[in-house]
Amino acid sequence: MKNVMTLLSGLALAGTLATAQANEVVVGGKNFTEQQILASMTSQYLEHLGYDVEKRSGMGSAVLRQAQENGQIDLYWEYTGTSLINYNDVTERLSPEETYERVKELDAEKGLVWLAPSDANNTYALAMREDDAEERGIATLSDLAQAVNDDEGLTFALNAEFYAREDGWRPLQQAYDFRVGRADVKRMDSGLVYQALRDGQVEVGLVFATDGRIPAFDFRVLADDQDYFPAYALTPVVRAETLEANPELEAQMDKLSGLLDDATMSSLNAQVDVEKQTIERVAEDFLTEHDLL
Amino acid sequence: MPTLNLSGAMRLLVLVAFFVAGVWSQSSGVIDDFIFYLPDIQYLAVQHLWLTAVSGSLAILVAIPLGILLSRPSMAKVAESAMQVLNVGTTIPTLAVLALSMSFLGIGTVPAIFGLFVATLLPITRNTYTGLKGVSPALMEAAAGIGMSPTQRLLRVELPNALYVIFAGIRTALAINIGTVPLAFLIGAGGLGELIFTGIDLYDPVMMLSGAIPTALLAVVVDMLIAITAFLVVPRGVNPGRA
Repeated sequence: MKNVMTLLSGLALAGTLATAQANEVVVGGKNFTEQQILASMTSQYLEHLGYDVEKRSGMGSAVLRQAQENGQIDLYWEYTGTSLINYNDVTERLSPEETYERVKELDAEKGLVWLAPSDANNTYALAMREDDAEERGIATLSDLAQAVNDDEGLTFALNAEFYAREDGWRPLQQAYDFRVGRADVKRMDSGLVYQALRDGQVEVGLVFATDGRIPAFDFRVLADDQDYFPAYALTPVVRAETLEANPELEAQMDKLSGLLDDATMSSLNAQVDVEKQTIERVAEDFLTEHDLL
Repeated sequence: MPTLNLSGAMRLLVLVAFFVAGVWSQSSGVIDDFIFYLPDIQYLAVQHLWLTAVSGSLAILVAIPLGILLSRPSMAKVAESAMQVLNVGTTIPTLAVLALSMSFLGIGTVPAIFGLFVATLLPITRNTYTGLKGVSPALMEAAAGIGMSPTQRLLRVELPNALYVIFAGIRTALAINIGTVPLAFLIGAGGLGELIFTGIDLYDPVMMLSGAIPTALLAVVVDMLIAITAFLVVPRGVNPGRA
């Protein structure tokens, strides 16, 4: 009996030591496919490296950012343009490199560190069905503005966040000088926009450039011919405190970040949204393929 | 008269609390923020009420006859299982019902109304059924004894006696309905959910509350209106409110 007790307390002690040694990292994510894949990928990867990972995904951008500033989230993938315009209120036109440098500098003051950016630029875009766009002769946002002003009766599907963002709907209309009536704008869940556009329930939809459904559903992405949208380079952002406690995290995340570009993200997103594989599975396969698991 | 004093003190306390809340909100600029959203609130509240009115009326029109039908003695064997089928509409998360109905009804108001209709159906059917089953057997026997036909018994004895319970079901159902309408926003049907969800996504509490507070107020007002209707419609003899 005594032996058993010693064994048990020994096990309990070992258990406490093990948890005390593993560094806890809270990984966040936003509420759309790409972010959920990234959150899952990062969690699995860091867990494999021996961190004690907690995953919290499915939040709106501003909520997630707030949580990170408050120290409730240690690490998540943010887009340079989102931080520049929405969190730092910078409205200047900047090149992608300048955008990255600027947010790195501004967010450093808030205790957030931007690690190496990936080559994936998930910009917002407006898309139409290929045949419809062809028929109406619309290839750029300027063409679209023209069509709206000619009153062609176009309807739009947008998500809640884009509708109200500083780099979103209102400023976009100002930049291209067009005005869409309230009744012609359907606001809905980001993921359902693609379905609505494909099924012809609207003529124009708000899409994310790296979404796999754009080629799969045969959409035409309208060119941003006046360079309205900034760069949205996908970049891991980590709290300075977390990085201090885990200095090796930077090199580890840079490795992951180096693997991502537009084509890769688009393909990963398509595996979830078009081929209907689970997010965990897609993330796991990707990591295995690159020998990170 | 200690009771009077107490209620007087309470009243004073409430007034002071209101005053303090008013001063605070005025000084912090929250009122201006809310006023900024006023046109939005008005436009969306109308959409919101429209969705509730259409889906709610459809549900009432279907659920009450259904409840009556299920309460007939001939249906006794299938009544419970039928109710369980309706229950499915209530237990599946409403967002899933909305997304499903969107896949065959498209986006916008039509699938939203259908989804809300399904979610509203059960409480009304259930209460209609329970109310009718709860009518005292002695009353039914007396009605049969004086030679009333089954239709007469239903219209003159059963329904008036069950009406209060049926109204309670309608109140519950519509309160749930108004609280569910915000989700309709996600399939493009508008409503106050636009302010609530955009507020959540952008971490803008004032915008979120500009949607949430009117939603709560609408629920309270609609509930009150139905309570008043019940007070007026339910016959004096079986109306707890007027006894």
